Parts: sequence; structure tokens; C-alpha cells
Amino acid sequence: MSNPSIGGEATEEAIAILPGVHARSKDARRTGRSRRTPVWSIVVLLVAAVYFLLPLYATAVFGFSTGKHFTLQPLWDGLGDSGFQASLQLSLFYSVLTTIIALAVVAPTAYVVELRFPGLRSTIEFVSILPFVIPPIILVVGLSSMYGINSPVNLIASSWAPVLLIGGYFILTLPFVFRAIDNALRAVDVRTLSEASASLGAGPARTFLRVIVPSISLGLVSGALLAFTTAMGEFTLAALLGYPTFPVYLLNINGYLPRAGEALVLVSFFITWAGVIALAAVARRAPGTQVVRGGPM
Amino acid sequence: MSRLELANLNKRFGEQVAVSDFNLTVEDGELVSFLGPSGCGKTTTLRMTAGFESPDTGAIIVDGSDVTDLAPNRRGMGMVFQGYALFPNMSAAENVEFGLAVRNRPVAERRARVSELLELFGLSHVGKSYPHQMSGGQQQRVALARAVAIEPGVLLLDEPLSAVDAKVREELRTEIRRMQVQLHITTILVTHDQSEALSISDRVVVMNRGAIEEVGTPTQIYAEPRSAFTAGFIGAMNEIPVRVVSGREGLVERDGRRVAAVGAAGLSDGDLALLLVRPESLEPIGANLAALNGDLTMSGQVEVQTFLGATTRLLVRESRAGTDDPMAMPASRRLAVDVPSSSANQWPAGSQLQVRIPVGSSRVIADRSAASRPF
Repeated sequence: MSNPSIGGEATEEAIAILPGVHARSKDARRTGRSRRTPVWSIVVLLVAAVYFLLPLYATAVFGFSTGKHFTLQPLWDGLGDSGFQASLQLSLFYSVLTTIIALAVVAPTAYVVELRFPGLRSTIEFVSILPFVIPPIILVVGLSSMYGINSPVNLIASSWAPVLLIGGYFILTLPFVFRAIDNALRAVDVRTLSEASASLGAGPARTFLRVIVPSISLGLVSGALLAFTTAMGEFTLAALLGYPTFPVYLLNINGYLPRAGEALVLVSFFITWAGVIALAAVARRAPGTQVVRGGPM
Repeated sequence: MSRLELANLNKRFGEQVAVSDFNLTVEDGELVSFLGPSGCGKTTTLRMTAGFESPDTGAIIVDGSDVTDLAPNRRGMGMVFQGYALFPNMSAAENVEFGLAVRNRPVAERRARVSELLELFGLSHVGKSYPHQMSGGQQQRVALARAVAIEPGVLLLDEPLSAVDAKVREELRTEIRRMQVQLHITTILVTHDQSEALSISDRVVVMNRGAIEEVGTPTQIYAEPRSAFTAGFIGAMNEIPVRVVSGREGLVERDGRRVAAVGAAGLSDGDLALLLVRPESLEPIGANLAALNGDLTMSGQVEVQTFLGATTRLLVRESRAGTDDPMAMPASRRLAVDVPSSSANQWPAGSQLQVRIPVGSSRVIADRSAASRPF
């Protein structure tokens, strides 16, 4: 299979759009040494495309066909299923709550660390990546033991039980949220902006909300997106703590309406992507965001 | 009552002394510059005044009130930073308005004040522009307008012109002075640029190694420096060896000719000293005329001509340079003589030159290197 758009000339034209690269590519053309895209990179691209797109294609074929022709019926079946709306609402509620809490905790913390305790940065960074080395299954076992029915702090059987799920989500999103916000903070001169704001009479809270937050808006948006999508797609914690969230529901519906389940998976995949692209576009148009060049997005 | 008093300020960073025994009183409406090389403590002193650093000892007094322990946002001082520090998410007008909004001024008053300041700084046409859409000069004007919008008790300028190009820098420093006089704002300017400090200040504080070297008007600092450091740091200065004949009478001698000189009274008889003379004060003359008048003179060979615009600087190797003669200049030093560029071709490189040394207002300081030099 060949893809004509990945040929040498097309790639060169694409590169020429980037500032600062145009002159070099023109020089290369003048000297007759035009750079060709190496064959191996095309192979890697094709393998990656097949790896990522084939499952989507298979899902689409299974979810939107009767086995012989295209149909939207499985999607209508899924949308009409009694558990769909409840599970989606549950997931949205917990994901939005997790996102808000993650931003509200991490952004001020990262700001204070950057401003007042730069020596603590490496410690905070280390703590923030712990979820990468502690699998969700370990986390949920730990939470169940710590706050289970045999624990003096029995949250699982109380009305505070959702705190465990949100707390777990928060921990899982920590590496992404901290990294996104910390990168954005380091791309602006936090100290001088804070001092400028203080010299004009603003207290720390006003400085943070009116000066720092807008200056790191791209980092906050990317952190929020990462937190939201991580929480929305999380399965292990929800399933083992007994919450019928959307991912848990998708697994369950596959047992009795498999085509509907696949159709919902595909639709939710594209809705998530559309949301990500829309939010990123909005953030890019925010005034003054140019200063976070080199930031996370 | 003085507007600002910095009393016995001391600050250390670990083992390093940043500011030592700093005492200064600034009068209402005065513009005082802190001038010195990098690491001399001028920015640390300014940051202590603003409240961004705490002094180890000493007090900062504004209008008679001790503000040493007040948070920066409660001191009522405006500050302009080296890198502008404009808020990137706000337009020029919003930046200027910020301090007024913090003070909960009525919207109509805020708008009127912002409009007035944008007009004063020639920024009316960029009021809606964001910082990244403005030039460096415009950004610095916005930073100035923002700082004066709050009608600060003291305005602190931390190397405000170091990030703009030379032409804009000259325009802006004149503008800063015009604004400061017009609004009658007590101002402290930190700079390492001597021409900036001398051109717009009422007084200049020369700093070296965390301490005040001397304080004076620009004219005093330039024409009558009291220390070798100030003399060397402010502009070009020739250090001409002389011997103190009578400290009591303020007389010095060179090549058998005795003259009175400022500063000699504090020195001991027989000591070697240095007569400080600006390049533009040395006057090329004919040999016979000098002998006739009994003036102090020096002679040597022109090595290099440096064109400076209206004047040309001649670097002259003194005839006795590097010899054991106590009146000889060190071999590594050259005598700098400024002459009008229109007549500079009279003294091309390689030619002999004799200059008259005016001593009426020249200052004498102790020659600290004399102990190690042979007589």
C-alpha cells in the first residue's frame, strides 16, 4: 500500500510552512540535495496507523452493521438502554469533580512551590509520578483495606464512600495535571509577575487568580483535559469499588447487547476527541497565551 | 520630614555580604540613582525597600512610619522591573488599571486615570494592545504608567531601560525624568549605566561591594569624586602621580612645580598621591608655553585615536611610563586626552604631544598602590 501524500516533495512543502525552516529547504533544493523521507519512517508510520486504526475499524464494522450492511440500530439500542444515561451521568459527575479538585489542589500548590519553595520541586515531582509505579489494582486494594468495613475509618459503608473513588481518580490524574501546570508555570516568569502584582497592591490570592491563572491557562486546560479523560476512562477503581460508571457499563452491555456496546465505544471515542480539539482551540485563542510558548500544548 | 529613610540596612546571603551599613535619606520629589557594578548590592537594597527581601538589620521608614515588616502590597510603592513584567493576559489599558482596581476605585475614575496616563506616556493608540503586540519601548512605558497610576509614595525603578535599545533608552530616560518632575514622585533608580544616572538624577549613590562609596549630585560625582573607585567607575579618569608637599596647605608637587589641589589637606607630607583629571580637562599645548606659565605638564607619544563624535580621544603613552621614576605612570596605563574631532588630525598616531594639567578643581586622592611601587 502506498501513500502519495507522504512523498518527499509533499513533506518538504509541509516543513516549509514552519518558520525558520523555509530558507534551509530552499537551499537544499538549490544545491540539488533535496531531503527525501527515509523509507523506514514511512514503514513505522504505516505500522502505527494499522495498529491504532484497525481496532477502530473493527469496532465500527461490528457496531454499525448487521453483519451484512450498515445500520445505526445498535447505536439507538445502546442510547435507549436503561443503564446508559445513568452510567454516563455518574462518570461525568465524578470526572468533572475530580478535574475541579485536581486543578484546585495542584495549581496553587505548584505555584507556591515555584515561588516560595523551589527546592521542594523535585520532591513534589517524584510524588506526582508515584501513580505510574503503583498500578490501580494496588491502589484500590490499599484503599479498601485502609477505609474498608474492618477499618476504624470505615468510609466504604458510609455516605462518604464516593470520596474513595474521587480520591483514587485524583491520585491517578496527579502526574498529568502536575506536569501540565508545572510546565506552564516554568514557561512564565512567575516570580516577577507576582512581585509586579504585589507592588500594585494585590494580595497573594488576587495575584494568583487574576495574574497567574490567566497566564498559565494553556497548562490548566491541558491538565483539565488529561484529568477528565483519565477519570472518564478509568475502569479498575470504579469496578472494584462498585461504581457503575460508563466504562463499567460498556463492559456490562457487551454481555447482552454487544453491537450496541461497540457503537457506544466508537461514538464516545469521537465525542472525546471533538471535545479535546474544541477546548484546545478555545485555549489557543485566549489573550496573552503566547507567553507560555514551550508550555505543554 | 524626608519621604524615605533607609537606616543601617544590612543583608547577607549565606556568607556573602550583599548590603552593608546602608544609610540614605531621600527627600520628597527627589530622584536618587543607585549606581554601581553588578553585585554591588544596589538591586538588593531596592528589593529590600520594596519589601521583596527582608533586611537582616536596619529599618525602612516612609513618611516617618517604619514599613520594614510590612508586606510589599501594603507599602504603597510602585515598581518598574527590568523585564517590564507586564501581565500578558491584559491589554495595556488593563495593565495600567490593575492597581486602581485592586484599590477598588470607581470604574469611571479608573477609566479617566488610565486614559490620562496613556496620554501622558504617548500610549493612547496601543491601549487595547496586549504586551506581545507592543515594542520594547512601548512595553516599558506601559510598565511606568502602571506603576505611577497608583500614585505611589515612592517609585522604584529596577534597571528599567536595560532591555531596550540605545536610541529608545535615551528617549525613555528623558521621559522618565519629565514624568517624575511633572508628577513630583519620589523615585529611586537602580542602574549600572553611569550616563543614565548622571543625566536624570538629583543625587547619585555610588555603590561598591554592598556599601555606599559616596553620595552626591551628578556634577559632584563626575567632577569631584572623593574615591578612586568613583573616579574610575564614572567616566574615564586619568590618575596622574604627584607628591604631597604640604597636606596642611593642600599643596602637591610634580616635576618641581607646586600647585594647590582639592583633597590634599587630608594627606601626609611626602606621600605619593594621584591627581584625578578628566580626559576633556587636559589641554594640548606647545612646550615653551607650558614652561612659561609654570603649569603642570605631561608629555608622551600618541598611540591610538578613538573617534567619539564631537571629540576624539587620544591615548598617550607617557614618556617616562614604566620607569622607576615615582612620577611615572604605570607601563600598562595610558593618558587619555579628549580633543575636538575637527583638530584631531594635528596629533596622528606616533606624534608627540604635551598637555597642560589644570589643577584648580582637580582632586587628589591617596595612591594606594604607592607602597608597592619603587621610589
